[in-house]
Amino acid sequence: MTLFQDPDAVPRTAAARLADVLDAFAAAGDLAARNAPGTSRRKAVAAASLARVAGRGESEAARLYFAALLHAIGALGNVGLMRGAQLHDRVAKMARWDVPAEGARLCERIAALPKPVADLVRWQHESWDGTGYPDQLRWNAIPSGAQLLRLADIFATAGDPEETLQTAADAGGRALGPEIAGLYMRWFHFTGGEPEPMDAPAGALDAGAGDAATIVDLLADRIDAHNGTPGRHLRIGRVAEGVATRLGLGAADASTLALAARIFGAGELARDRAEDDQFDPLARLGIAERAQNAAAAADAFGDNPTFRGAAAVVRSRAAWYDGTGIPDAAHDAIPIGSRILGAAIAHDALDAVHRAQIREDRTPPADRLDTAAGTQFDPDVTRAVLEATRTHA
Amino acid sequence: MIELGERTRNISPSRLHEILLENGARSLVDPFMGLPTHLNYLKRHGIAVHGGDLLDWFVRVGEGIVVNDQTILRESEVAEIVEMLPGRIYPLEAFKAWEGVFFSEEQCLYLSVWLDNVRNLRSDGQTGLAILGLWRVFCYWLQKSHYPDDMPDVPPSELAWSYIRETEQWVTTNLRRNTVRSSDVLATISAQSADALFIAPPARNSFRTADARIWMWEAWWQGNPYFTIEHTYKDSLFGSRSAADEHAYARAIASVLSAAAEYPLVVLQTNEKRFGEFEPLVRNARSAVEVYSPNDAELYIIAKK
Repeated sequence: MTLFQDPDAVPRTAAARLADVLDAFAAAGDLAARNAPGTSRRKAVAAASLARVAGRGESEAARLYFAALLHAIGALGNVGLMRGAQLHDRVAKMARWDVPAEGARLCERIAALPKPVADLVRWQHESWDGTGYPDQLRWNAIPSGAQLLRLADIFATAGDPEETLQTAADAGGRALGPEIAGLYMRWFHFTGGEPEPMDAPAGALDAGAGDAATIVDLLADRIDAHNGTPGRHLRIGRVAEGVATRLGLGAADASTLALAARIFGAGELARDRAEDDQFDPLARLGIAERAQNAAAAADAFGDNPTFRGAAAVVRSRAAWYDGTGIPDAAHDAIPIGSRILGAAIAHDALDAVHRAQIREDRTPPADRLDTAAGTQFDPDVTRAVLEATRTHA
Repeated sequence: MIELGERTRNISPSRLHEILLENGARSLVDPFMGLPTHLNYLKRHGIAVHGGDLLDWFVRVGEGIVVNDQTILRESEVAEIVEMLPGRIYPLEAFKAWEGVFFSEEQCLYLSVWLDNVRNLRSDGQTGLAILGLWRVFCYWLQKSHYPDDMPDVPPSELAWSYIRETEQWVTTNLRRNTVRSSDVLATISAQSADALFIAPPARNSFRTADARIWMWEAWWQGNPYFTIEHTYKDSLFGSRSAADEHAYARAIASVLSAAAEYPLVVLQTNEKRFGEFEPLVRNARSAVEVYSPNDAELYIIAKK
C-alpha cells in the first residue's frame, strides 16, 4: 500500500514530503525528551538564523536547520527517558547523555540528510571547556556548527529571549566558545531576539537518496521501542489494513489509516505509564487516558501537511461508537479510520494480555472484543477486525 | 600572552564505542591516552579500559575517572581544596615565575594553595578528580586572557568549586577492573591484554609543539613552573629519537603494531591528511584492514587478526 496519498489539489514534492516526515520525527523526539511542544522547530529556525548572522551561507544554515530540528530524536528509546526503566536518577542522567549519539546514529540511517547533520547532532551538547556530552570534546575539536546548535538550544529552551542574553554571556568560555557567545549578542541585535519564521529548507535534502516511507517506519519502530511495545505498529497496521480492505476503504483513507497506525503511539511517549497499565482496553474508566494520549499524538502531528489526515484519525480513536467516549461523536460522525484504529489497538492490547496470561481472564481476545461491538466499537468494524485477525492467525 | 594554538587530538569515544561494539570488543588498551575522558566514556558503557601515559597528571586524572568507581569529593572536601586553610603554611611563591607572564598575582597564589591542598588529599581518586576540576579553571584563565570581555569574571574559588563539584558526575562503575599506568607505549601494551588496542598516534615532533595547557598543567602538578615536556618524553618511543627523522617515527609506529600482535583488534585513529603515513604500516602488520572515515578529521584504520 502507498503510505502517502495527496488529498490536496497540489501534491507535495518528494523533498517537501521528506521535510514533513523529518518534522514529524522531531515532534516525536520532543515528546520523548519531554521538551515543550515545538522546541525542535524553534531551535531549527534559531540555528538557521544564527548561521546567517555568522555568515555561514545558506547550505550551512540548512544543515544546521535539520540538525537542530532532529536534536532530540535520540531520546526515542533512550533508557534514561523510557517509561518503566526505573533507573536511579544519577544513572538515568548518564543514560540521557547518550541521546545525541543515539540521534546521530538515527541520522546516519536517513540517507536524504546532508552528511554533516549526523555529526552536528552527535556533538550539539559538547561544551567548550570539555564538560559536555557525549564525547567531552573541548575547544576547537567541537565543530563550530555544533556550538551554534548549543546557542540555538539556549534560545529555544529559554522562556524570555532577553534572559538568553545573560545565559549566553555566562556560558562564554564554559558551554560556549568565547566568540560564539559574543555572536549571540550580535544576533540578538539583528533579529530583536525573534528569528523570522521560515519553511524547512527542503531543497537541501537529497530526495533521490531517501524514501519518506522508510523514515516513517523507522520513526514507528523508535516509538514502539520507547513505549516498550516492540512491533506494535506492525501488528496494528496489519490488522487495520485487513479491515480497510474488507470494508472497501478508498486508497486515500487506507493510506491515512496506515500512517495513523504508525504514529498513534507517540501520544504515550511522555507518559509515565502504559495506556493499559491501569485499565482494561475495554473499560470505560480508561477513556480519559486513551483520549489524552490520542490528543497528545494528534497535537504533535496535526499541523504537519503530510500527517494532518492521520492526526485527525488518531485524535478520534478513543471515541465510542455509542457517543459516550472522547470526543463524544457517535456512529458515522466518527471517522472510519478512527473506528478501525481504535478497535485494532484494543484487539492488540487484549491479545497481549491473553498471550502473557497476566490476568485471570482467559477469554480469547476475539470474544472480548465482540462484547464491545455496538457500544465501544462499530459492529461492522468489529466483525472485520475479527475476520482479519482470524486470517492472520 | 601565551599562544593557545590547538594541537590536541580529537577523539570521539561514542564513535570508538560503535567500532568496538561492531567488532565484539569488550576491553580496550590505550597506551597513549592523554586526558582519559574517552576511557571514562567507554567505562560508563561497560568496556574494561586500560590506559597509559607518561604525563603524570593524565595518569592521576585517570585514577579519578577511570580507575575510581565510587569515591567523590563532598562539598566540605571541595571547600578544603579551593580556599587557603587557616593554620596551614603554604609555599605561596611556588608559581611566582608565571606572575605577570601568564597569570595575575592572585591567580598564582591560588595555584600554589591548590597544589598544596590537592597533594594533601587522602585518596588517589579524589586527587584525580581535583586535578581535573582545577585544570578546567586553569584553561579558563588562559582563555580569558585572550577574550577578557567575552568571558565572565568568576572568583577563583567559585570557579574551582563548580568545576571540582562537577567531576562527581563522571564517577561510576562498570563492575570490571580498569587501570591506568604511568609508562611508555610499549610497556603499557605488553603489560595488558585486551580485545582491542586503540592508538591515536601523536604527530612527529608533537612533544615540542604540544598544547601549552597540557604541559603547563604538568608543570603545576610537579610544582615546577620551569618544567618542560621534552624532558619527560626524552627517552620515550615518540620522543626525540622518533622526532629526529621520518623513518624513526615510522619505526616507532611499526614497533607499536608489532607489540600489539596478540590483540585481536587494533584501531588506529588519524585523519585524511596523515592517512598515507599509517596505512602501509598497518597493512604490513595485519592482513585484514578496513578504513572508516566518517568525516575529514576522523579516520579509523581498523585492523583485525
